[in-house]
Amino acid sequence: MGSSISKIMGKLFGSKEMKILMLGLDKAGKTTILYKLKLNKIKTSTPTVGFNVETVTYKNVKFNMWDVGGQQRLRPLWRHYFPATTALIFVIDSSARNRLEEAKEELYSIIGEKEMENVVLLVWANKQDLKDAMKPQEVSDFLELEKNLNNQPWCVIGSNALSGQGLVEGLSWISNNTDVPKK
Amino acid sequence: MQNDQQRLSLQNRTMLTHPYKRLGGAFSVKSPSVPNFHDRIYSDHSSSDSALVNENPRVNKHHAVEPSSLGQVSPSEHDGNLSVIDLYGDEVDSQRGEVEDEDDDYNYNEDQDGAHSEDLDLAFAEGNLQHVELDGVAAATSKSALSDGVENTHFDRYGFKKQNNHISEAEYDRWWLDYSQYCVRRKHKWQLLLEKSGLPVTDDSPSRFPSKSERLKRYVRKGIPAEWRGNAWWHFARGQEKLNKNKGVYSQLLQKMKQIKEQNPNERQVQDLDIIERDLNRTFPDNIHFQSASYNKEGPPIIKSLRRVLVAFSLYNPKIGYCQSMNFLAGLLLLFLDEERAFWMLVIITSRYLPGVHNINLEGVNIDQGVLMLCVKEYIPEVWSYIKPSIDHHQKNNKTFSPSNNKVLFNMQKNEFLYRLPPITLCTASWFMSCFVGVVPIETTLRIWDCLFYEESHFLFKVSLAVLKLSEHELSKIKPRNNSLNYSWGSNLNQKNGLMGQEDNDMEIFQVIQTFPKTLLNPNEIFEKIIFKRRFNLNKLDQDEIDRCRKFVAAQRLKFKTYGELLGNATSEADLPINNGITDNKETHITSDAVNEALSSEVYGFKKSLAGVHWNNSIKEKVKQMRKRKDRSD
Repeated sequence: MGSSISKIMGKLFGSKEMKILMLGLDKAGKTTILYKLKLNKIKTSTPTVGFNVETVTYKNVKFNMWDVGGQQRLRPLWRHYFPATTALIFVIDSSARNRLEEAKEELYSIIGEKEMENVVLLVWANKQDLKDAMKPQEVSDFLELEKNLNNQPWCVIGSNALSGQGLVEGLSWISNNTDVPKK
Repeated sequence: MQNDQQRLSLQNRTMLTHPYKRLGGAFSVKSPSVPNFHDRIYSDHSSSDSALVNENPRVNKHHAVEPSSLGQVSPSEHDGNLSVIDLYGDEVDSQRGEVEDEDDDYNYNEDQDGAHSEDLDLAFAEGNLQHVELDGVAAATSKSALSDGVENTHFDRYGFKKQNNHISEAEYDRWWLDYSQYCVRRKHKWQLLLEKSGLPVTDDSPSRFPSKSERLKRYVRKGIPAEWRGNAWWHFARGQEKLNKNKGVYSQLLQKMKQIKEQNPNERQVQDLDIIERDLNRTFPDNIHFQSASYNKEGPPIIKSLRRVLVAFSLYNPKIGYCQSMNFLAGLLLLFLDEERAFWMLVIITSRYLPGVHNINLEGVNIDQGVLMLCVKEYIPEVWSYIKPSIDHHQKNNKTFSPSNNKVLFNMQKNEFLYRLPPITLCTASWFMSCFVGVVPIETTLRIWDCLFYEESHFLFKVSLAVLKLSEHELSKIKPRNNSLNYSWGSNLNQKNGLMGQEDNDMEIFQVIQTFPKTLLNPNEIFEKIIFKRRFNLNKLDQDEIDRCRKFVAAQRLKFKTYGELLGNATSEADLPINNGITDNKETHITSDAVNEALSSEVYGFKKSLAGVHWNNSIKEKVKQMRKRKDRSD
């Protein structure tokens, strides 16, 4: 019964579908997160040249997740693909304190783009399993999103791509905070 | 460390006839290359000398059995194998415990479960020098080595894990059963060819090859024997020539690297060092030789070599520095060549075959994508229809549409895709940057590299076209959604819905192009069925054509860029020149018409068509005129 009700609900309200761009510095854990979500498997970590794209369905929502290469120099390859992004996920390696400033700069330069003006922003403070990882609150304070973002919803969630902790929470936060055309 | 001494002497024996041995000796650490594969895996384990001595005859005995089980190889071939692991044998060897002559009926999985010590030795019998040590290890720690031996069957002959998300181990093994036989046959032919050319194969590691000919080209296209690859690539890419011109350069670079490290212990000064460091352990994590688990805390020697090659390269060519994907190029080279030669091959790849592709601005890779798109349009129009940019694509960024610039838009489309590349190039760009490493399965990659070094860069375009052609079937399964909306240029809402439809299609096309190549396990699938098929006509695409095409695309892109700048507020290439608020601006209207007129007259002509390239210098004139006009109106 339960499933048929959700089917009916799905028909009534339509299923949401959204394009999600997952960014972050190299070696932040983007690809690991993507395949944990998609396959529930840990893929051996390897630099992404180009990108990976996978569809992850959670509840009624189809997330088209784009995971693009983190190295700064590869950015021009995909930056023109910004338009029509419903949400931006920015992944941070919480254990790499010495790269946090760099990550912050990168984040602000991305959300400064015209196409990113009203995009919902989720920050995954990743690698929470590492012992010197910064807590999500610390990361959040450091990024100063409260001070700098006025017209877009944002959220910092701690995550651990290996165990999956925080990933579903993140997606459901995105889903609750976006309003995309029903299909 | 007797073991080390033993290893050194083994290496010296393997290097006896290599002309570069003297150069290699200049470095304190000999770089790993194929001959030392298994040597490296086990070199950190201790093993007793007596075991080595004792195991030796046993090993040879087993080894002598092998040809009979293969049924194809003459014993002399194996006797001569001093340097290289038996790249064909791992499958056959592990089978021999149960089956002598009937490979085909053999059930591989059973053997895995029922591995016993006899099988172990056989499974390890991969090359008569290397397994001297391996068996020594086996004797010393028989139980743990046993599990290692079983473990080994999960890896292919280069140490890559057979299984991945797209290919199961069983699939791999099934395919390998045939393909290994193919490789043996090919190698035999190569040996005959070399003998005929008066180049005897004495130690299974020839460094000289016949001069280029149609026949040799055919042989290369059918695959260079795996254990000859390093030397063959080096030969065909004229590596020695490059090295001779740069004697001592590599060791100087290493010296410089050392100095930098000493001066800046935290290495922060040189940004590339940091980036390289982060990628080292993420290079081929599924390859046994790159895994740190089997080594002491210093990590695998091949990772150290990789670090040196990449850092040396970033010092050698600061214009490129380090770009992700080069770790894969260098990593694969190091599996086949010693460190210095791997370095020079990396130099050759990034300059001769992929000029500008890894440069900081990545213009080279964009040019190549433009060239590829032209080729797709020309050679496989049936695939072009899936990936060409739709009208809608422009609309995304152009919220202010007016009829007057529709015409401009339409005409500009002709060549605009060379500048604003279709989204699919997000995918294909990485094919070029990493020369298909990680894009297609490893044996297929290696066959591509064989031809790349023999036939030069146009081959990468051929392969790309072949892969796209093969994926056509998958592409055709994608149902276009919301197609009608793609062309509704009306309200914002419609635009957005249309976008979503396009988005969906893009998404599915991307997934096909991203996934499909990874399933191309059998190299002959794309080589024999597509690339060299007469019917398919790809043979007309030669290096000359690609060189010409590259020039054309480079010029076109430059012009688009110039126009963009001329029209003002084009801050980046993402901004199309026509996007920049031209609606109510009379001056710019004129300008964009002029631009359009100028651009539309240029069409690239492939050789086979009657029309040549008819772009000319008039474009320069036109830009000048436009500038003047603009100045006047100001």
